[in-house]
Amino acid sequence: MVSIESALPMLAAGGIGAPTLPDLGWFTNSIFVAIVVTVAILLFTRMATKRMELIPGGKQNFVEFLIEFLYGQVEGIVGKHVAPRAFPLLATIFIFVLVSNWFGLIPGVGTIGFGEKTAALSVDSSFKDADGNYTFVPLLRPSTADLNMTLALAVVFMCVWLYLSISELGLWGTIVHIFGPKGGVQGALKWGLMIVFFVVGIIEVVSIMFRPMSLSLRLLGNIYAGETLLHTMGGLGEALGFPGWLAKISSVIFPLPFYFMEILVGALQATVFSLLCAVYIKLSTTHEGEEHH
Amino acid sequence: MASILETFGLDWAKFLSQVIIVLIVYGILSKFAFGPVLAMLDARRRRIAEGESNLETIKAEMGRAEEKVCGMLAQANADAERLIAEARDSAEAVRSQKTQEAVKEAQQILEKAREASRLEHESAMNELKRDFGRLVIDATSKVTGKVLDDKDQKRINDEAVGQVAL
Repeated sequence: MVSIESALPMLAAGGIGAPTLPDLGWFTNSIFVAIVVTVAILLFTRMATKRMELIPGGKQNFVEFLIEFLYGQVEGIVGKHVAPRAFPLLATIFIFVLVSNWFGLIPGVGTIGFGEKTAALSVDSSFKDADGNYTFVPLLRPSTADLNMTLALAVVFMCVWLYLSISELGLWGTIVHIFGPKGGVQGALKWGLMIVFFVVGIIEVVSIMFRPMSLSLRLLGNIYAGETLLHTMGGLGEALGFPGWLAKISSVIFPLPFYFMEILVGALQATVFSLLCAVYIKLSTTHEGEEHH
Repeated sequence: MASILETFGLDWAKFLSQVIIVLIVYGILSKFAFGPVLAMLDARRRRIAEGESNLETIKAEMGRAEEKVCGMLAQANADAERLIAEARDSAEAVRSQKTQEAVKEAQQILEKAREASRLEHESAMNELKRDFGRLVIDATSKVTGKVLDDKDQKRINDEAVGQVAL
């Protein structure tokens, strides 16, 4: 029987938290990957936009296409008025999450690391010491497979969301937007339904408070599950008792179909995360009158 | 809740470091990607709009220039026709004037010739009259055998000339 723990070195530190790299304190492998991703994004954008020309070259053309496409999508959801202020964060979230998700598909992520009996591009199931403690710490772990990163993304977004909502509607306007009557109800009906709208407002506040958790756990769950799946498939041959050479071949062949699926899941999760963020901004920055148009 | 978060590996130090990384990426992309690219896209959009506007202006200018050229051509044609007509009129006038001058000159030559002929005729007639008078006086003198004095000669001569009606 194949156990998750035996197939997934990421669990070496216990739970699904990212383990710290040896002798580096709080510096985890997911932070390391986040820094690598950040540097990669920085280098690529600098190369693409250092000498911008009116007639763009290859990299500039790609970056322009991506940004123009994303801006169009954001503008379509949040509207022309809010788009210039909401776009940078939403596009940052999409690009960062996408690159981080796909970074996890690079061979060696989650398998190369510190500890006993580790080997490049392979999953080693013998990484427990005599006391049952895991002794293997992978060097690289997708940053979006770490709750600290997904929650950081969600919390940063919520801060910007709050700023946009208040700057757009005002503090009192935001409160009225949440608790006030909706649908243009007037007269006695308005006052009669006031208590209903107030209760709905409280539910809305609770749902807003849960948004960071729902956003972060959805992303974490999908990417972590994808990593688990790939590593499980990679170690399946060995776990099933295949001979050494066959186990090595199967460690390449078995995960292959799931790599294509994870490419899709990575793009999908980046889209879902940023799309939900855009919808949250749209819901909280829409003026009462605009809802009926 | 705390235990759930712990199970999921939430650690505030790690969380804060990830927040900082997210903010750094946000800053980097805003500064080096979104800002310049959106500015470039905006510049390109403005340039295209400007180009379109210029195209409209050029089209309008071309229309006006074409109208102007058509007007100038029409004016040139009118001028040319007028000049040709004037030249034709002028040539006609010159021709008429020259013809008149030639006719006048010919008339003058004819008149002069006629006058010269008349004068010559008159001169010949006078000569003839004088010769005739002399012949008459000679004949009279020979017939009469008389020496005619000047008075007779003049009388005979006047009578002879008076009788010759030429």
